[in-house]
Amino acid sequence: MTSIPQNQPPAVGAGGQAERTRLAERAEGIRRALVERPRFSLRLQMYLGFLAAFILSAGVAVALVYNFHDMENKIRFLEIVNDYVMEVEQARRFEKNFLLYGSNLSDALDSVFQAEQILTRNAGELAAVMGPGWSQVMLPKLRGYQALLERLGRLQGAAGAQGGPARQDLQARVRKEGQEMVSAALALLSKEKASLSTTTRRSRQILIYSLALLLVVLVLNAYLLGIRMLGSINRFGEYANRIAAGDYTPITPSRRYRDEFTDLALAINAMIQELENREAVLIQSHKMRAVGTLTSGVAHELNNPLNNITLTAHVLQEDYAGLSDAERQEMIADVVQEAGRAKKIISNLLDFARETGSQLEPLDLPHLLQETIDLAANQIKLLGIKIQLQSSDNLPRVHGDSQQLRQVFLNLILNAIDASAKGGKIQVIVVPADEPNYVAVKVIDFGSGIPAHILPSLFDPFFTTKGRGKGTGLGLSVSQGIVAKHGGRIMVSSQAGQGATFTVVLPVTTIPAELGEGRHPEPANRAKA
Amino acid sequence: MPEPLEVLLLDDEPIVGRRLKPALAKIGCAVEVFENPEKALARLQEKEFKIVVTDIRMDDIDGMQVLEFVRERWPESKVIMITGYAMMSLAREAMEKGAFDFIAKPFKPDDLRRVIAKAARALGYTLDFEAAAPEGG
Repeated sequence: MTSIPQNQPPAVGAGGQAERTRLAERAEGIRRALVERPRFSLRLQMYLGFLAAFILSAGVAVALVYNFHDMENKIRFLEIVNDYVMEVEQARRFEKNFLLYGSNLSDALDSVFQAEQILTRNAGELAAVMGPGWSQVMLPKLRGYQALLERLGRLQGAAGAQGGPARQDLQARVRKEGQEMVSAALALLSKEKASLSTTTRRSRQILIYSLALLLVVLVLNAYLLGIRMLGSINRFGEYANRIAAGDYTPITPSRRYRDEFTDLALAINAMIQELENREAVLIQSHKMRAVGTLTSGVAHELNNPLNNITLTAHVLQEDYAGLSDAERQEMIADVVQEAGRAKKIISNLLDFARETGSQLEPLDLPHLLQETIDLAANQIKLLGIKIQLQSSDNLPRVHGDSQQLRQVFLNLILNAIDASAKGGKIQVIVVPADEPNYVAVKVIDFGSGIPAHILPSLFDPFFTTKGRGKGTGLGLSVSQGIVAKHGGRIMVSSQAGQGATFTVVLPVTTIPAELGEGRHPEPANRAKA
Repeated sequence: MPEPLEVLLLDDEPIVGRRLKPALAKIGCAVEVFENPEKALARLQEKEFKIVVTDIRMDDIDGMQVLEFVRERWPESKVIMITGYAMMSLAREAMEKGAFDFIAKPFKPDDLRRVIAKAARALGYTLDFEAAAPEGG
């Protein structure tokens, strides 16, 4: 039994061309979406991280340098004040000696002069610590004391004797002024010492806190870089697994910016496209192999109508004159009918062999399987095999490419024919699968079965149990690829001596709106990049 | 006119019998045509045909079984097998099992007549081969 498909697929090329254009546009759209994001490269993130750490370190260094400078100034100031205090105290000792023992007053004046020299020589340093008003504080006191000492000296020279109220008064003032001058200098000294220790403490704190902050910045930097890189590496690992499983959905953008991983995604998308092209070639070449297998059956079956035509035509030629009109009409009708039969025998195969673009549509599996069985009918007849198709009523449709799925089922049926003995039986059963929203197609043969030890390698490319030159070992591998693209899977169970059962599980159509939209059924875990 | 040579023709394609019966009659064969192997075997059980022409590939009983049956029942009869191109190995097997000759589909009426004439000669009959070919075929 043969049937011509109701909807003739578009002529070779036309459908494929439109399909290719659509695919190319989609690939371009994804590429643009990937590229047209603001660029924030990993390199930039690394640079920024290290720049932040450097700026922080530089800030710390500047603060420390400034602080050290401050400390140096203060130490220098302390030295100056210290020298000054020593000179002033020296002057007071000479003053005391002069008052007590009448020794030379010029020593005291000399020390005062030295003290004044210290102040004027280090005017810059003093101003740096005490501000520009420093001279108002120390110099007047020193000069006042100096003036008093000079007056005392002059008084001494004039009177030449001890005592006298003017001298007593002057001595008291000298003592008082000297006392104040020394205590003011000492107060300044202790104040600056306290200030210096504050500055030292600040240096220490700057160091400790900035070290902690630097640690935080470096850890944060490493953490952010790590999250970004490891996250992307994990994602690409998932993509690789997905692609290995036969899901050729291109990687789409999953972040708001692009970087070096975007370049990787672009390269992988190009690779996916190339893989897909090659798989299409593989599927097509495998289909041609199946066609080749079917050809022997077709050739044999063609012999019958051809023989009928040959015999009829020769008889007609031989006996033309002696035949009645009715007999001639009958013979011509036979020729026409047998020519039609011959055409039917090859048209199914030609339809199947034709290269068409991938086209997704809701499919009635029992109908598709009947067509597939018709395709193999000559083979089945040739070997005297009985094939039985059973299907549950009201099966939901599946969403798929009829050409490719027919190829899968044909492959399984041809395998079953190979496995069956002459005159054997094959069962094809369509039922709802155990899991909801899936349909199962079982192709069952009653041949010698598949040994348990080769079951795991059955779907490996180039694995074959058929003799040299008979099988390429690609049939089940290609079939598995096609079924995986449809979101389903193929399973096999077999017991030695009891035959084998191949089960194809396919998801049913749930979203009719997707018709003609996506190339592949959209799996739940759609890829994102 | 010699007595007609009795021929049984078995092929599950009805047109083969329809065309060959008159074509063979022209060279002096009395042809009984069968499309069903079981009925042919039943007829062969009861009557000897000098020549049996059978297709090898048929649905229930194949030509090889018919050959074996005839060799057993009527060892004198000549069996001619009709084969397809794809079945040359089967044809050789048939020859080994004692078939007189084989002829491959598609064939012309003359091809079969020639083989039958050869078989007839082997049986001691002479057929008027020329009678069938007015155009000199």
